[in-house]
Amino acid sequence: MTNEINEVIRREEFGDVAVLHIMTNSVDAVSASAIEAVATATAMRPITVLDFANVAFINSAGISALLKFVVSAKKSGYTLYAMNVTPHHQKVFKMVEMSRYMPPIEERDLAAYR
Amino acid sequence: MQQVLVNIPSVPIFERVVRASADEVGRALGFSAERVEDLKLAVSEAVNNAIDHGNKRQPGKLVEVVFALHNDKLEVHVTDEGGGIDTIDFSRKVIDEQNLDAGMHRGFGMYLISALVDDCEVNSSQSGTTLTLRLYRRNHDHDE
Repeated sequence: MTNEINEVIRREEFGDVAVLHIMTNSVDAVSASAIEAVATATAMRPITVLDFANVAFINSAGISALLKFVVSAKKSGYTLYAMNVTPHHQKVFKMVEMSRYMPPIEERDLAAYR
Repeated sequence: MQQVLVNIPSVPIFERVVRASADEVGRALGFSAERVEDLKLAVSEAVNNAIDHGNKRQPGKLVEVVFALHNDKLEVHVTDEGGGIDTIDFSRKVIDEQNLDAGMHRGFGMYLISALVDDCEVNSSQSGTTLTLRLYRRNHDHDE
């Protein structure tokens, strides 16, 4: 099942899993407010995954927006995962220790839930 | 030495113009794909800092970005028209439980800049602040 939340995130659900596909290629100061709005309004699932397949750029303003999802998942007692993160963004996430709060997950790990 | 000059209003969308310029300049200097990404992120952080903290998002105030291409290095000078600053904190900032719970989700930009470029320096006066980033050319970088 998929439905459009708005232009920045497309939500897909199956079983206990919600995959939030980030649709903007630039997670930055411009897209941050729309991402934050989605994060505030999004119901978390036991396994919630942010999919970065379409994302070419992330800066600290974007990281700040993504942290809203981390906080929301934490409040729900769930863990947020990251999927399809480029090696460069993996490096940046490690630098700010984002990867502690949003560990990587592979597409194949989700197959069992489909 | 060759220079590329970009002036933008203090509106966040125009940071993307500078970032696209950084991408082209990095490629023209033969930087590796990873170093081009490092350059884009560092420049993005510097420009956003100038827009937000220097020029306080006043669209009439410009952020001037000069890419100075030297034989041995690339220098990027990012200058705002703000009232100047005493210091910039480049210390390591990471996400932790305390700042997550307190809702403090910002402040990584200067740390990222210092970690991604070879060196950086700040010159500030009452008429504005210039942040200079330097990336030295390495043996495996090549001219295109």
